[in-house]
Amino acid sequence: MRGPSNNTMMAFKRGFLRSLLLSLQSSKATMSLEERKRAVKSSADVAMATARGVAGARWPQAILSSSSSSSPSRMQAKVKRCKNIVRRCCHKRRRDGNNGTSFFARTALNRSSTEVARRLVKKRTKVLRRMIPGGDLLDEISLLHEAMDYVVHLHAEVDVLRLVSKALQRSTTSGLFHAF
Amino acid sequence: MSSRRSSRGAISDEEINELISKLQSLLPNSRRRGSSQASTTKLLKETCNYIKSLHREVDDLSDRLSDLMSTMDHNSPGAEIVRSILRS
Repeated sequence: MRGPSNNTMMAFKRGFLRSLLLSLQSSKATMSLEERKRAVKSSADVAMATARGVAGARWPQAILSSSSSSSPSRMQAKVKRCKNIVRRCCHKRRRDGNNGTSFFARTALNRSSTEVARRLVKKRTKVLRRMIPGGDLLDEISLLHEAMDYVVHLHAEVDVLRLVSKALQRSTTSGLFHAF
Repeated sequence: MSSRRSSRGAISDEEINELISKLQSLLPNSRRRGSSQASTTKLLKETCNYIKSLHREVDDLSDRLSDLMSTMDHNSPGAEIVRSILRS
């Protein structure tokens, strides 16, 4: 399994930045501070998801689905989470051939065979699912792949944002063109 | 993706370990202490914390960017930077 190439990541950074700048440009100035912050966060998420594209990972689609709805995204996410939890319970019973022991728990068991370790792993997995858009739907191995892909792209996102903020603050054109 | 899920039993231990060490290497401060493997719980915790901190940074930086852009007037050098990025 290979991570994304440098060229892919450059294209991602470029696409992300363009999408973000476009939506920031067109955002209304007449919003409250709270609304503004939410709009900016959502713009960044959507820009990241569209720049990555929906092939080979789930989180971009999860971001786009939850932001394209007209109702408040938080309510939507809650509804979705409930549906997914129900779905996951059904799925788990059907697919799990290891007496209910999850993959992560098995791995933990190989290294430390305590009940505490097993419970910790379960808790951590739940937290990780919440951090990754669409993570609720995934089995644990896919979750690992998803986490790697998501982390790589988040990191790139931060790189780009740092660069651009710095460039705009200094308001010179020297450093920026080299990067792009 | 689906073939990976349905053949869960067919995934070897090596593949699992490879996945785990790959994820480990993406996280900051990934120290390689000889052959000792990070516990799964530690890895999951580090991943969550890292994602959380990246989220925070993205929020801060994009807020700052939004502020910078809102105070730029059409003729400022900053506005020209933005325009040239959008042209590329």
